[in-house]
Amino acid sequence: MKHIRNFIVRTGIRIPLIAWAVIVLYPIIWMIIGSFKNNAEIYKDPWGLPETFSFQNFVTAWNEFNIDISVFNSLIVTVLGIFITLILAIPTAYALERIRFKGSGALFTLYISAMMIPMVLGWIPLFFLLMKLNLLDSIIGLSLVYAMSQLPFSIFILTSFMNSIPKELEEAAAIDGMSSYGILLKIVTPLSTTAIITVSIMNAIQFWNEYFMALIFLQSEQKYTLALAIDFISNETQYTNAWGALFASLTIAIIPVIILYAIFQRRITKGMTEGALKG
Amino acid sequence: MVQTKKQKYLFLAFCLVPTFILFAIFTLYPLFSGLYYSFFEWSGSAADKDFVGFSNYIKLFNDEIFPSTILHDYFLVVTKVIGIMILAIFFAVALTQLRIKEAPFYRVIFFFPNIMSVVVIGILWMFIYNPGLGLVNSGLEMIGLEEWARPWLGDEEWALPSLVLPSVWAGIGLFMLLLIGGISNVPKSYYEAAEIDGASEWQQFWKITMPLVWPQIKVSILYIVITTLNGSFIIVQVMTQGGPNNATHVMGSYLYQQAFKQFNFGYGATIGVVILIISLITVLILQFFMRREKVEY
Repeated sequence: MKHIRNFIVRTGIRIPLIAWAVIVLYPIIWMIIGSFKNNAEIYKDPWGLPETFSFQNFVTAWNEFNIDISVFNSLIVTVLGIFITLILAIPTAYALERIRFKGSGALFTLYISAMMIPMVLGWIPLFFLLMKLNLLDSIIGLSLVYAMSQLPFSIFILTSFMNSIPKELEEAAAIDGMSSYGILLKIVTPLSTTAIITVSIMNAIQFWNEYFMALIFLQSEQKYTLALAIDFISNETQYTNAWGALFASLTIAIIPVIILYAIFQRRITKGMTEGALKG
Repeated sequence: MVQTKKQKYLFLAFCLVPTFILFAIFTLYPLFSGLYYSFFEWSGSAADKDFVGFSNYIKLFNDEIFPSTILHDYFLVVTKVIGIMILAIFFAVALTQLRIKEAPFYRVIFFFPNIMSVVVIGILWMFIYNPGLGLVNSGLEMIGLEEWARPWLGDEEWALPSLVLPSVWAGIGLFMLLLIGGISNVPKSYYEAAEIDGASEWQQFWKITMPLVWPQIKVSILYIVITTLNGSFIIVQVMTQGGPNNATHVMGSYLYQQAFKQFNFGYGATIGVVILIISLITVLILQFFMRREKVEY
């Protein structure tokens, strides 16, 4: 009796699970398929399969809608952002975790609470600050802003990881006469590779996807990141009807994320749940 | 090697000072400066920056649109919390308590929208809601409910509720995983004992699962509330830009419009200050109401 009931429950529970999986997957798959259709097909049968697979939309998006430049810009922002974040976060995380000093707790709390503050208020003065520093409408300026936005999260993940590294290695190195700088660079940083990779993947996804700060701090089309370029194409479709190119650029935007997720699924979910637990 | 005090502090400064200076310039200074700006009327050029005291705040309280943006924000907060929590709890329980072989598959799939760009999510859902081509309207037509079909995002009454579904769609995975983490920490023996005592699965859920994963539920609710109040304007900007007729403006998108579209930077900063105050108060109140004795068996 119990077995039969269990079987029914388990089958019944699968219906909502499968339904939600379809709701999640269908639009994404449809978008990717749509990028291979021509406009006529999109209008005739928007949610069906294409009759012929064509890469024309990708060519159009790439050549006529500046997607080539914006992919390049997004790549630069992402890589530069990751790099700046690491340079700033690793030494701070190490000092906060390993060196005893007055105010270390307060400083840590200050960084962490910045994760919860709505930055939208700060964006107005930041806009004028960047203007003064000649960093407005600049990929470098945006990378710096991005790095600062992910700094608290990165410090948090790195400190909690460094906490799990045994102190003995550092102590042994110090006895051998290695300087603190050497220990940080040659012992702690390599030992923290796991956390550094996790943080960098999370930041990569964040920077690659980011939209609103780019909207505020970039102005000329030549500087657009992918998210901005797509938003621009989307807003123009009512005049250009370039649905195919829009789908193609959405696909270009999502594929790196899918690849990262396929490779680093565990790290990404762990990083995000840890970040949320702290927030 | 024994470090001298001086060496220690030099190293400490090397580690902390550059980062902190940049953090102070690009994060702390803008926040305080935003507070300062809120007392000025300012269109962006240096010449016409006038100190106006609290008049921006007074203007904000008499603003015709602003109160509705607060309501819209809270509408999104409440509907998202309810929608996400119900589904996330349901999926988390289903994937842990009932031995389903393909559970990892669902976990992987359900989480993916959490790492999609808001731009991609927004544009995808604009298509789903598209009056002519969209899934929602064609779906309604297919099951014979044509009269329910409408231009969802262009309809003043339905545009805001239409924004809830994309947010729930994109948010569930993370909270489901948080709850799964909580549930898998509950010792199996509790459920076995309850089973022997004849407790139904429903009773087990309310008497064991819910109290023991309360910390995760609390964190999830707080997180949804904070991220919605601090970030709901992003999906609004992508999908409706506050329209039609301001029906979907939230506080953040209204700030963007005032500051960066109409160049009322002082007024925009005032909105920012109010957003900050409102979200801090909301979080404090929530924390007060959700405090609950830690349950241990």
